[in-house]
Amino acid sequence: MREVIAAPHPGLDLRQHYGHHQSPAIRAGGLIFCSGMLPVDPETGERRHGTLTSEAHVILGNLKLLLESAGSSLDRLVQVHALIYDSIEYDVLNRVYRQYVANGPPARTVWTAQIEAGFKIQLDVVAAA
Amino acid sequence: MSARREVIPPSDAASRSGQPASMAVRGGDFLFVSGLTAIDLQSGQRMPGTTASETRQILTNLRQLLEAAGSSLDKVVKVNVLLHSMLEAPNMNDVYVRFFPDPPPARTVCGARLPDGVKVIIECTALA
Amino acid sequence: MNEKLSRSAIQPKNPLLNASRVGNLPHVPGIRVGDYIFLSGMVPVDPQTGERSHVPIAEQVRITLSNMRHMLESAGSSLERVVRVHVVLADISHMAEMDRVYREFFPIDPPARTAWSMQLRFGNGCEIECVALAG
Repeated sequence: MREVIAAPHPGLDLRQHYGHHQSPAIRAGGLIFCSGMLPVDPETGERRHGTLTSEAHVILGNLKLLLESAGSSLDRLVQVHALIYDSIEYDVLNRVYRQYVANGPPARTVWTAQIEAGFKIQLDVVAAA
Repeated sequence: MSARREVIPPSDAASRSGQPASMAVRGGDFLFVSGLTAIDLQSGQRMPGTTASETRQILTNLRQLLEAAGSSLDKVVKVNVLLHSMLEAPNMNDVYVRFFPDPPPARTVCGARLPDGVKVIIECTALA
Repeated sequence: MNEKLSRSAIQPKNPLLNASRVGNLPHVPGIRVGDYIFLSGMVPVDPQTGERSHVPIAEQVRITLSNMRHMLESAGSSLERVVRVHVVLADISHMAEMDRVYREFFPIDPPARTAWSMQLRFGNGCEIECVALAG
C-alpha cells in the first residue's frame, strides 16, 4: 500500500507551482521516496537561486520539513543522490551537506547532472519512515 | 527470513534488449524496473523519435510490463527520468501526466548523456 | 506498516575500500534498512593499495564490481541478491566494454539496471551503485 505525503508547506507543492506531475513523497514498505528536492521557498514556492551552498541549505531545510511532517527525519535518510551541476563543487557540497547528516549519514552517490531551471543542486532521497 | 528475489521475465522474448539486465526484479515489497528506452516490446527494435514520442512509447511499455508482473502504474512509488536535455522536460511532462493517475508517484528528473542517441530513459520502483 | 525500520551502516571488511572513512566523507559505504541494502556509489579503487586505478575501462569496471561484491559479502549479502544497479560512465562510448565485463558478474537473472554517462570526479571511468536484498 502506498501513501502520498502531501506538501507540509505550500511552496513544496511543485505540482501546483510548476506543473511537475509528482507527489512530494510517497511512503511504502517502511520507506519514504522523495521527489527530487529543489531550492524553492517552502512558503511561496519561488525559486531560490544562489550559490551551491545557499541552494543546498534551502533544499536540506525543505527535506527536513517534508520528512518530519511524515514522521521521519534527516537522521533516517538511507540513500541520497546528490545531483550537482559541476563536479568542481564536490568539496563545497560536502561542507554544507555534512552539517545536516552528522548523526550517522546515509549512503550517497554524487551525480553531475543537468538540473532544471539552472539550479546548482538537487537532492533525491529515500528515508526510513 | 531473508526476502525473496525474483526476476520478471519479459512478456515477449524479443523485448530483451541484449543488455545484461532484467527488465524488472521483484525483491521484498518492491518491483525494481530497469531504465527503459523507447523500443517496440514485440520486436525489441529501437523506436527513436522526439522526447514526447519516446516518453509515450516507454510509458506504454512500462504499463504493460507492470501489469504482466501483477503491479500497475498506480502502484509506482518513485520514478527517475533521465533526459538528454533538460529543455525537453516540459515535452516529457506533457506526455507523462497522461499515464500516471492522481496522485502521482514521487519523481526526479535530470539531464545526462544517454546512450545511442536516446532522448529519454525512465526507471521506476513500484509496489509488487 | 506500523513498526519503524531501523537503519544501520555497513562497512567493508577491507578498510581500504571504505571510501567514507578514508576520505573523511559525509556518507557511509552502505546502509541496511529492513530487507534492503543501499550502497553508495563505488569507483575503481585498488583493493590492495587503496589507490585509484586509471587502467582501461574494462579493468575499471572489473575492479569496481569486485569491490561491490566484497562490500555486499561483508554485509552478509551477495551479487546474486542485487535488485537494481546504476552504472555511470564518464564516456558513453564505453557502454559495450562495460557490458562485456558486467555480464561476468551478473551472468544469470541479472538485476534491473540503468546505465548512462555523466562527468565523474578524479578521472574515474565509472561509478556504480546498487540496491540489494539483505542476506
